[in-house]
Amino acid sequence: MDALILTENVLQALAAGILVGSVYGLMCVGLGLIYGVMRVINFAQGDFLMLGMYAALYLFTGLGLGAALGPYLGPAVATVLGAAILYVLGVVLHQTLLRRVTGIRVAGTESEGHYPQLILTLGISLILANAGLIVFGSMPQSIRTPLSASAWEIGPLVGQNLSVFLNKARSIAFLVSVVVALALFLFIARTRLGKTLRAAADNPEAATYMGIDVDAAYRVAFAIGVALTAIAGGMVATYYPFQPYVGLEFVIIMYAGVVLGGFGSIGGAFWGGLTIGLVQQLSTLVLPVQLQNAAIFVVFLVIVLVRPEGLFGRSAERI
Amino acid sequence: MERRIGRDLAIIVIAVMAYLAASLLIDNQYYQLMLALVPIWAIVGISWNLFSGYSGMVSFGHASFFGLGAYTVTLLMVKLDLSPWLGVPIGMGVGALAGALIGWPTFRLRGHYFALAMLAYPLALLYIFEWLGFQEVSLPMKRESAAAYMQFKDQRYYVGIALGMLVIAMAVALRIERSRFGLSLLAIKQNEPAAEAAGINTLAWKMKAIMVSGAMCAAVGGLYAVVLLVVTPPSVFGLLTSAQALIVTLFGGVATVWGPVVGSAILIPLAEILHAELGDKLPGIQGVVYGAAIVMVILLAPEGVVPRVRDAWRRRHARAEPATKSATPATTVGSSSRTVGDRVVLKVEGVSRAFGGLQAVQDVSFEVREGEVLGIIGPNGAGKTTLFNLMNGFIAPDAGRVVWAGEDLVGQRPNEICRRGLGRTFQVVRPFPRMTVLQNVVVGAFVAERDDEAAVALAGEALVRVGLGDRAQAPAAGLTNVELRLMELARALASRPRLLMLDETLAGLGSQEIERMLGVIDALARSGITVVIIEHTMQAMVRLADRLVVLDHGRLLAAGQPEAVTRNPAVIEAYLGKRWMKHAQR
Amino acid sequence: MLSVERLCVAYGGLRALIDVSVEVGAGQFAAIVGPNGAGKTTLFKSISGIVAPVSGAIRFDGQDLLAIAPAARAQLGIAHVPEGRQVFKALSVLENLEMGAHPLRARALWARNLEQIFALFPVLAQRRSQLAGTLSGGEQQMLAIGRGLASAPRLLMLDEPSMGLAPTIVDQIFERIRGIHREAGIAVLLVEQRVAEALESCDRGYVLESGRVVLEGTHDTLIRDERVKRAYLGM
Repeated sequence: MDALILTENVLQALAAGILVGSVYGLMCVGLGLIYGVMRVINFAQGDFLMLGMYAALYLFTGLGLGAALGPYLGPAVATVLGAAILYVLGVVLHQTLLRRVTGIRVAGTESEGHYPQLILTLGISLILANAGLIVFGSMPQSIRTPLSASAWEIGPLVGQNLSVFLNKARSIAFLVSVVVALALFLFIARTRLGKTLRAAADNPEAATYMGIDVDAAYRVAFAIGVALTAIAGGMVATYYPFQPYVGLEFVIIMYAGVVLGGFGSIGGAFWGGLTIGLVQQLSTLVLPVQLQNAAIFVVFLVIVLVRPEGLFGRSAERI
Repeated sequence: MERRIGRDLAIIVIAVMAYLAASLLIDNQYYQLMLALVPIWAIVGISWNLFSGYSGMVSFGHASFFGLGAYTVTLLMVKLDLSPWLGVPIGMGVGALAGALIGWPTFRLRGHYFALAMLAYPLALLYIFEWLGFQEVSLPMKRESAAAYMQFKDQRYYVGIALGMLVIAMAVALRIERSRFGLSLLAIKQNEPAAEAAGINTLAWKMKAIMVSGAMCAAVGGLYAVVLLVVTPPSVFGLLTSAQALIVTLFGGVATVWGPVVGSAILIPLAEILHAELGDKLPGIQGVVYGAAIVMVILLAPEGVVPRVRDAWRRRHARAEPATKSATPATTVGSSSRTVGDRVVLKVEGVSRAFGGLQAVQDVSFEVREGEVLGIIGPNGAGKTTLFNLMNGFIAPDAGRVVWAGEDLVGQRPNEICRRGLGRTFQVVRPFPRMTVLQNVVVGAFVAERDDEAAVALAGEALVRVGLGDRAQAPAAGLTNVELRLMELARALASRPRLLMLDETLAGLGSQEIERMLGVIDALARSGITVVIIEHTMQAMVRLADRLVVLDHGRLLAAGQPEAVTRNPAVIEAYLGKRWMKHAQR
Repeated sequence: MLSVERLCVAYGGLRALIDVSVEVGAGQFAAIVGPNGAGKTTLFKSISGIVAPVSGAIRFDGQDLLAIAPAARAQLGIAHVPEGRQVFKALSVLENLEMGAHPLRARALWARNLEQIFALFPVLAQRRSQLAGTLSGGEQQMLAIGRGLASAPRLLMLDEPSMGLAPTIVDQIFERIRGIHREAGIAVLLVEQRVAEALESCDRGYVLESGRVVLEGTHDTLIRDERVKRAYLGM
């Protein structure tokens, strides 16, 4: 009997890990894209996640998308619309602030280029999170639909026992995340604009010789990265309560995922995020809930100390 | 270097007295608390500055030390009834230990990996302390003998204690800044490889810095706990704490003693007052203010307020520098008037190194004789700098040995190699622009002299030897190209090397400047220092060098006297191309 | 077509180019030779806009190049094949060539250009799906040149194409460069350390030393000039 319960718990944790991990994967892809192209460590990525959540929430309730499109499509559409708004925000932020500490001239200097970026994005993070507190208030919110609390049952698989439950909201989030991530990979790999971004990432100087406006490329990459993470946020909002400081909770998850996958590898970022999701869910089998996130930190620290290049990364540190 | 500490300390004490006097006039408890918080956050900033500001390794995790100090004091009082007067010093020990434990593995990381790892430590501690059940720990109230437990009804006592700690912190910071500790950290920040090559044990200094920083931060964390009387994990381990440490320092001025104090004095009251007045309507106003402060500082004044003001002040009061007399070398450059011994001092044997598929250096062997000037030449991409890096300890060879004084240098770190008598200059000279030439050079002398004063004297001598004696007190920012190269040479000289490795010292200089450099190098060789020099300017090399070694595609192509080497057909072909002879003979 | 007039470039206090004047006429082959550190790459970087000059002018077809943003200069028909190849290592050979065809004019001529590039460098056709980072040095150089050609240039600037390559490969590369110049009538500006190869095919040559033009002349006058040898070997 115990073995059955154990198996069920493990399978449940695995399933939850894959569902949640895929959403983390999308978040990480957003962060990874920004780093991969611009070499910017964006501390504010968690706050863009948060803004994506609020954007999706207000569009969902404000436009009555729940009634208009139903609980399956409604949140997804609200999320994508919200991400479009975040895309514009990303463009504005790059144009006004980030451009001054990134770009060709800075990419050439040694580690000097990194610190102004890190610190600038830290400043932006503080502004966004706290302005969010002022504008949105501190009450936890979520996009509530009937899906948040219902699940599909897979099973019973062994006689009358052993079923795996897939939370419906999480499952939709999983689907959306995978589809969007795939779309991004195709975009990067096949389209001319995607190749231009890769070229600008690979060698900004040579790219300029080709006539590529590296600054504009960085802007597009940043805005897309922000939008991707916003989509993940909107999806998380359907099953997880959030408030303006929620970004902090996810920042370490995102960084752990990107580092695990390897800085510079966008595909790796997705797998890294997925792995972190699995670690988080599987750790609930052995650890108390409060230590869940501590487990992620430990994994993160171990990766950074033992194998900084991650699983798929190109170089441990680009100097 | 220590002359001015007395004067600066006097200024500090006066400022602190004035602050204390002003605070005695305040009756409102909230503002009294704020007055105590300003020096507290100033000390946090100073502790952050001591590590990150001077060394350039940005720490986003000083909350680790702050929180550990706070919890040490709190838990010692709750569990063991130990007074904070004892708890704070014990907290310092905990902070130093934490610094060592955190630093040891994390220093192997570079750049943003380091920053991210540092970010993770306090957040991990936050979750761990929450799990341990310490979500909210209050310090027990002591009605009798409150003072023995650092508890005072009148908040202004805390202002006094905080100010006392601030004076100590600033004195420590001043002492460190003016001593070899501070200069070594700055050298590491400026150009870590060059610092290593100059004999500075970069790992040891970084460890010392993080331990001092951790101890100081933990001490003030303990005071913070006493002042607030309650400790929660987010309030001490949270990101805002690490951010505040950074912000007050960045705003006020990185790598200055007054920077964190000024930053704290401006930002803390600003944020606290805004919070008090608008806090209920605009609950996140503090964070917005800090965030905006960082953004503005990074974009407009990346070095902070204090340096900006100081620069503007200096410019207005700048005295006109006397016109530099161009030093015409009195000695004739020529290997004929130098005696070269027969003793081999350095032997490179079969050294090879590949990067990925590319064989950068292949089976290179040559000898260097005592007192000679050996030139290493070769076309672009021949592997000359790689060879230097292999000799100097920056890269390890795949095969071969580098034998110096009977010992194989392979496997030793660059600073140890410098200690053994090999000095090196680098192509890209990165001076400390705001410091004097002498201060720039003195980092090289630390490996030769334990005493700071003796090091300064040695540095001065080195400057005279390269002909920059009259520029010792000039700010390095005003130097010309050739003077910068000479200064770099002086820095290498200050370590009392027996062999000097010069990397493209003449690159980009005009012909008069080349003459000047050649004169200096020649004089050094005459004084008994063996010189190995990489150069492209063939005209100069032919006159300066006793022997030449030619590299091409990582291999030794030719070695011998300059006249013979430059007539060697293989050498001509490597530089000018195979068909040169054909055409030239038509 | 291209005229550099009294250009001065400095990095901080270091003067890299002093009063440099160079001319390339339409369809001409100009070579700049000089020892290392002479400023050859700096000159190219100024023409491409990565580095801003302190004084002087650069004109292309009469237009003031300094007034045009770096990324826009490729649209005018200037192709820069950088020192050390600088191919996009993480992109395939074909993708590298696609990136070369970034200017609008080049995209219209893409299909025909690609055919010509593959005819010129068959090995690129063979390895078209391979990642550029895995190619040998010589193959990367061919790719870099092909990438330059893909932009349908009117001026092809090559920075030390021989660097780090074995002599036989260098011969092949130079042969192709000469072919490109002859057949397509593209103006070529070649910077080289290997004097003989560079001066062999040029119409006009310049010797750069320590940031200055110390000698200029036609192919014939330069190849026999003893001063060239001295500039390199200090004899």
